[in-house]
Amino acid sequence: MIARRSPTAYWTGFAVVLALLAIAPLVLPEFWRRFVTEILIWGLLAMSSDILIGYTGMVSFGHSVFFGLGIYGAAAALLSVKPPNLWLALLYGLTAAGTAAVFVAYFSTRLRDIYFAITTLVFSQIFYVIIFTWTAVTGGENGLTFAQPLLSLPGLGAARFTPETLHWFVLGVVTVSYLLLRRITQSPFGMVLQSIRENEPRTRAIGYAVERYKIVAVMLSGLFAGLAGVLYAVQNKFAAPDFVFFAVSGEVVIFNVMGGMGTLVGPVAGAAFFLLLREGVSRYFTEYYLIPVGIIFTAMVIFMPQGLLGFAKRRLNE
Amino acid sequence: MSERWMDEPWAKSEEFWYSGKVTRRTLLGLGATAAGALGATMLVPAPWWHAFGQAKPYKIGTLQPLSGAAAAGGKTALVGVEMAVDRANKSGGIGGRPVELIVADYESKPDVGRRKAEKLALEDKIDAHVGGYLSNVCLACMPVWEEHKIVNMITVCLDTTITTTKCSRYTFRPFDYAPAQAVAFAPYLVNKLGKKWHIVYADYAWGQSTRDAFAAEIKKNGGEMVGSTGIPLGTADMTPFLSKISGSFDGLFGIFFGGQGISFLTQTFDLGMSKKYKIAGDGAMTPSVSLPAIGTKGEGFVGLDRYIPVLEGPLNTPSHKKFFDDAVARLKAIDPSGPLPDRFVQSNFEGFNALKLGMQKSGFRGREDTMKLIAALEGLEMKEGDDFPQGDKILRKEDHQAFLREFIYDLKNVKHRLLEIVPKEKTLVPPACKFV
Repeated sequence: MIARRSPTAYWTGFAVVLALLAIAPLVLPEFWRRFVTEILIWGLLAMSSDILIGYTGMVSFGHSVFFGLGIYGAAAALLSVKPPNLWLALLYGLTAAGTAAVFVAYFSTRLRDIYFAITTLVFSQIFYVIIFTWTAVTGGENGLTFAQPLLSLPGLGAARFTPETLHWFVLGVVTVSYLLLRRITQSPFGMVLQSIRENEPRTRAIGYAVERYKIVAVMLSGLFAGLAGVLYAVQNKFAAPDFVFFAVSGEVVIFNVMGGMGTLVGPVAGAAFFLLLREGVSRYFTEYYLIPVGIIFTAMVIFMPQGLLGFAKRRLNE
Repeated sequence: MSERWMDEPWAKSEEFWYSGKVTRRTLLGLGATAAGALGATMLVPAPWWHAFGQAKPYKIGTLQPLSGAAAAGGKTALVGVEMAVDRANKSGGIGGRPVELIVADYESKPDVGRRKAEKLALEDKIDAHVGGYLSNVCLACMPVWEEHKIVNMITVCLDTTITTTKCSRYTFRPFDYAPAQAVAFAPYLVNKLGKKWHIVYADYAWGQSTRDAFAAEIKKNGGEMVGSTGIPLGTADMTPFLSKISGSFDGLFGIFFGGQGISFLTQTFDLGMSKKYKIAGDGAMTPSVSLPAIGTKGEGFVGLDRYIPVLEGPLNTPSHKKFFDDAVARLKAIDPSGPLPDRFVQSNFEGFNALKLGMQKSGFRGREDTMKLIAALEGLEMKEGDDFPQGDKILRKEDHQAFLREFIYDLKNVKHRLLEIVPKEKTLVPPACKFV
């Protein structure tokens, strides 16, 4: 029987990881400092999709829409308001992603399994084509480039982002997001989502309005994906239609599978592992990097079906 | 004999089941061997390297899409840079220092492109960059080159805004762009092929901006654009779009590249449009690699390009012959069908040589001399020769945009045939850039 780990051990581990991530920009070379920040952003995107994939049992290929619209929403704020404002970028990005999430959720949650996945994929293609061809507004294939906003905190003034402050800002947002999502998934609402994952007809039979729960799950997931998009825009200062393309959603599913679905932390670990692996392997194999990455991914699916986190948990409990 | 093969004695032997099993030890052994072989390959320096003794190499980065959607073009483009770098190293390097080319594959994705640009700037500490293929990646990476004060010599990206509204002090384009092509081609289109044109274009940023440039120039030369049809990027079957085109006009002008260029030419032929109208278009539709697929259906197509793989007229020079032969041999190594060089090989080859010339002129030592290098590149005149087999060109100071001669050609017997040469002076467009 697997023993349940104590909360003290969990929070100690959490504090250690947080402390390591906090000091990372002080000890890492500049390229890796930026890379770790980017990993956190992709990790937040993966974590947001875990609400659907891991907790509700709905594989979404539409996450690229929410992420991409988060980026484009932030871009709209940063290009239209002078001087560029961080909080306005956040507001615009979340509004764009949230609105798209309502739209996608309304139509797609009436379907299940593969039909849900295909519907979300179709939506991502629709948004991609609109953004790709509406050059006058979105910049089309070339996308948009814009200035980075200042880091403005109420009562503390404003300052330019440095790689260190940007990292801490992103780390703060990702940590708060994780704690919020953790609370949500452990709440009665989260339990219903898990019940839908385990047995949807029975959940409906008990009396839960399954569709409504699914809609809220998609919206919640979309909002956090949009938040990741805003952070990406602030870090990289450009928006491109490629971020809305469904291939990004595919990568997010890979992050989940590699890290461990239904754990919130697992997808972040999966994103870190995949991005580091791809960066490392591509340096030696250049254009052939996908061959070793593919082999490793296949091996992980076969030998670690519960992902990195599930594997680590099992080892720790042995 | 047993009914099931698993019940046979030989199948029950433990050796049968485990002889091929990959154990942890085998896996580690194989991994170590592979890593050793890879490491050994990386540690062996190139043969020419010894000639430079202790001279510190110039580190030149090149971002290319070697995987993903644009991989085929990216590999062709890389051939051009490698040719130029090898040639420089074999002839004594730059100021006695060898050139180390650091290649990064950006997977045809802008986010990866930006990350790789940062890697080149921060980890590899490159002195300058030559490359870039997809315009969206070029645009996404331009702020990185600015931030790290690195000269960026673009070699394929065609988007007009790179040297107009989004121009950068650090970025140079040593080849043509749509407005210059339109200025060069429109007089021929209107005076020799027909007054009224219908433009069919790939419906995205490049297609739309090229359409606008040609529409304006056709009008300026006394012609008229009677209509235009946008076809979504990637659409292979253009018949539903093409069959709706009707009305009174003299020619169809196509703006496509790659597979869509092939589709446009073969499908206009199949629909009988090439008998009814003159077919012309952007040179990107008919690179030599596409000609076998276009076949005789493209006969009579008239295009404009900065480079065509022919050894006739002004391209019948020893310099071009050398470039042509070297490129053919190298392209055959990556594509056994043996394609002829195209404009991507040419602009990558000449892009590096433009940088080399600027480095020599400015006495460039490293990134600390970037401003000196920029000053040398602004207004740089490139003379036809081994470094610039395509012809003379000038890199304009005001917007870092080059102007060069253009070739008007048609397709005859599934080959390019040179029709007319437009001198670089007749391709000029006023600058539209304000450096920040």
